[in-house]
Amino acid sequence: MMMPVLASTEPGYFQKLIFGGDAASRAGAQSDALFMMIFWFSVFFFVLLMGLMVYFVFKYRRRPGVAATPSPSHNTLLEIFWTVVPSSSMLVFFVLGFQSYAEKMVVPDNSLELRVTAVKWAWDVKYPNGATSPEQQPLSIHVDPDTGVVTKGLDYPIFYVPEDTSVQLKMVSNDVIHSFWIPDFRTKMDVIPNRYTGYGFHTPTLTEDDIMADNETIQRDLWIFCAEYCGDEHSRMAATLRVVPMDVYQQKISDWGKPKSPEIEGEQLYNQMCKACHTIDGTASTGPTWSQATIDGVQFGYGYDAQLTDGTTVPRDDNYYRRSFLDPHAEVVVGYKPLMSDFNGLLDEDQVFALIAYIKTLSDRGRAESSEETENTEEPAPAGSES
Amino acid sequence: MSTLDAHASGGHHEEGSYLSGPPGMISRIWQWASTVDHKKIGVMYLVAVLTMFFLGGVAALAVRYELLDPVRTVVTQMEVDGVMTEVVSTTGQRLDPIAKIIGADDANQAYNRLFTLHGAVMVFMFIVPSIPASLGNFFLPIMIGAKDVAFPRLNLLSWYIYVVGSTFGVLSIIMGGVDTGWTFYTPYSTSTDADHIRVVFMVLAAFILGFSSILTGLNFVVTVHKLRAPGMGWFDMPLFIWGLYATSIIQVLATPVIGITLFLLIFERVMHIGIFDPAMGGDPVLYQHFFWFYSHPVVYVMILPGMGIISELLAVHSRKHIFGYRAIAFSSLGIAAVSFLVWGHHIFTAMGELAAILFSGLTFLVAIPTAIKVFNWIATLYKGSIAINTPMLYGLIFLFTFSIGGLTGLPLATLSTDLHLHDSYYVVAHFHYVMMGGTVMAFMGGIHHWWPKMFGKMYNEWGGMLGATIVFIGFNITFFTQFFLGTQGMPRRYANYVDEFQTLHVISTYGSWILLLGFLVHLVTLLHSLIAGEKAPANPWGGLTLEWETESPPIEHNFHHEPVCTHGPYDFDTVVPPHCDPKDYPLPSNPGSH
Repeated sequence: MMMPVLASTEPGYFQKLIFGGDAASRAGAQSDALFMMIFWFSVFFFVLLMGLMVYFVFKYRRRPGVAATPSPSHNTLLEIFWTVVPSSSMLVFFVLGFQSYAEKMVVPDNSLELRVTAVKWAWDVKYPNGATSPEQQPLSIHVDPDTGVVTKGLDYPIFYVPEDTSVQLKMVSNDVIHSFWIPDFRTKMDVIPNRYTGYGFHTPTLTEDDIMADNETIQRDLWIFCAEYCGDEHSRMAATLRVVPMDVYQQKISDWGKPKSPEIEGEQLYNQMCKACHTIDGTASTGPTWSQATIDGVQFGYGYDAQLTDGTTVPRDDNYYRRSFLDPHAEVVVGYKPLMSDFNGLLDEDQVFALIAYIKTLSDRGRAESSEETENTEEPAPAGSES
Repeated sequence: MSTLDAHASGGHHEEGSYLSGPPGMISRIWQWASTVDHKKIGVMYLVAVLTMFFLGGVAALAVRYELLDPVRTVVTQMEVDGVMTEVVSTTGQRLDPIAKIIGADDANQAYNRLFTLHGAVMVFMFIVPSIPASLGNFFLPIMIGAKDVAFPRLNLLSWYIYVVGSTFGVLSIIMGGVDTGWTFYTPYSTSTDADHIRVVFMVLAAFILGFSSILTGLNFVVTVHKLRAPGMGWFDMPLFIWGLYATSIIQVLATPVIGITLFLLIFERVMHIGIFDPAMGGDPVLYQHFFWFYSHPVVYVMILPGMGIISELLAVHSRKHIFGYRAIAFSSLGIAAVSFLVWGHHIFTAMGELAAILFSGLTFLVAIPTAIKVFNWIATLYKGSIAINTPMLYGLIFLFTFSIGGLTGLPLATLSTDLHLHDSYYVVAHFHYVMMGGTVMAFMGGIHHWWPKMFGKMYNEWGGMLGATIVFIGFNITFFTQFFLGTQGMPRRYANYVDEFQTLHVISTYGSWILLLGFLVHLVTLLHSLIAGEKAPANPWGGLTLEWETESPPIEHNFHHEPVCTHGPYDFDTVVPPHCDPKDYPLPSNPGSH
């Protein structure tokens, strides 16, 4: 589907200054060109008006004993002129904006469809084969060569898409309103709890500039941000969209789609969905830590009792965690708030089981229980359970 | 316009200035607290809204302080008891100390509460009532030659309702603050902090403040219709009055909608009746439609009075008849009318394609009357006798910053570019260029312009101009950078960000400190004026509107006799200003025609 591109696709100096770089899609480049057209229109009128203002202020500055020179306070022709010029310009912007909007919204029928689910505070992207991405990377790592001090940003998940492909997003939220923004494609759409929304984009073709330092990998990373305020960790609801060659993409999703041991799958789910609020290193966060740890005299971890806000105490066993995922506000641990998104409907039985299996690996009581089970059933120990 | 009696200032002594009162602190306080004088109420509003401006400003400074650097995890290899251990620490959470004070768990939460506080206080408690309730209350009756507003008691009630509303807001803040954002979007706002009443308090504050706004608007509409001085037709009114009139109409028509909406929100939160929350069968986007049906017109409640002030400032200080009087007056009404049809442009990313296209088209209509106004103001300066003083400087600053604010709105009305810019720092910058660069700059100009009249004291002109210059520089450094943050992909309401945005954030934060300095200079200048300022003459700027005919400060009933309107508000080339030496304000030898 070809649409006329407004201006030369080669971005100029100002366009680079304003947007920090080229748009990564044709629809994005088209909307940048429209932005620049409005920008130059605005600059022209701004300079004209401010020039006149400064000139008048200087030329007609007050001099003692000199009156203002009378001049007409009304001029119909002039006034009609300066009504018609902005009106017709607005009409042009409207029509071009509409065209370029269509380019951003409409996608070919055979596009790759990705299902995006937003929860507080993570993105879940499901591929057509049902797989999800377990990969993540810290934002910027800097190692000081002298002191060995490592400075790094927070970890964000990585979603893979193949290059030069039309992609259609089908999005829904599990709790409050979020917004899925990919700045490099210059588009976003709200993710709403009671209906599907979405948009499409055509991924860029990778070029020599995208070859990584190792001279083997070729990929391009784009940011994904949540743009609609959604609470405490709103600013950490980011992700990376990684554009890779088609064969790499297909290898990835088929690897991710293979069956895994529950512990491994649980760990993956943790990284995708739970990490924003729950730690596994025993430090405090928005939600209780999952590991066996003592924070300010309070014991956490599988197999240890939990003090609830209603005054009761319950053991942290399999069913406790199951309830915590599927009806999180029914039992809230003392010192924490009922903030958690309700995962009922979002996690299936296997995933609930996998998460509990993973949580067990983080506590000595959980590990003990797992190994008993293992002995009884005489199955090989799942990977990670004895670490 | 001239008063029938020829009393110069000080000629009549049996009726004192509105500021004079009985001796004794308690009777003085009672006199103010029970007053029905629109001037005293205006001054009380001025004090109240400036207090809120200070509170909202402190929150803004805190928000900018957190944004000086992104959050980073620092891992250091250290030898502890002979074993190499990784020590993990976090940097960049600058609001941690404040979080402890306000009872938030961490810097993130503190940030979310502070930006909500900034937005809610600035919008509902400062900028909506700012100009109409303070300068409007004080000058609307005087400028049309009336003794008071049509319903003086109702006017006092509005002030008390404002105070009650603000008290709820402040209570909610003292209890720890809310983190919903000033827009209270559902279902977040109906589910956050479910065990706390403070969200209800903040929403209730906005609800109550709405009543204050409606009553003031109603009062102004009736006053303008019924109490104009003999001889003053609709087109003899100063343009500030036109601005206030258009504003009042929006206040009366739009505010009930937000009242109902906020009430439904409280209903849903407290009684769990599903209106907006999909978990209870509601529709969250419905809330956004309701909210913006009010909150878009209210943007013009914020800016129209400011535009009115600018028309006064530019005309008086350049001694020129305003260019295109009728065009400005009608464009105020035009903006007021169109403002009801464009709410959808706040939710392009949450509505269907057809609706988005319609709202985009309608939104462009607003740009036209706004552009006309700017052209008219610049044309007014042509061949004038332009004085450079604080009010005029603010008039020029307004033209600069407001033009940027208006022009940067075009890519937001354009559908495809808005998909990128929506909910980014670009919107934050645009909004501040319109609201702060527009309304606040006009308000500052208006305060300086009418200060001698309100308090009978001159302020130090150099102090005023220094403050204005610093504010101008600080403002542009703070907010111009944010346009680039937005176009490059920085979302709004983020306590944390990716590294590439840091430089621009740092510049913006430095700008906010310069801005603070500018306002402090103003504060010192104005306090100095109150304590040790020179006595102000009745007409320090050579103005022709009626407020310059009475004393400075005005007597209790404004005029000794009902004034009669004999000339237009901007007839500078045919009328010698009252109480002025003709040598200071000479008339042109061959007066032109209008």
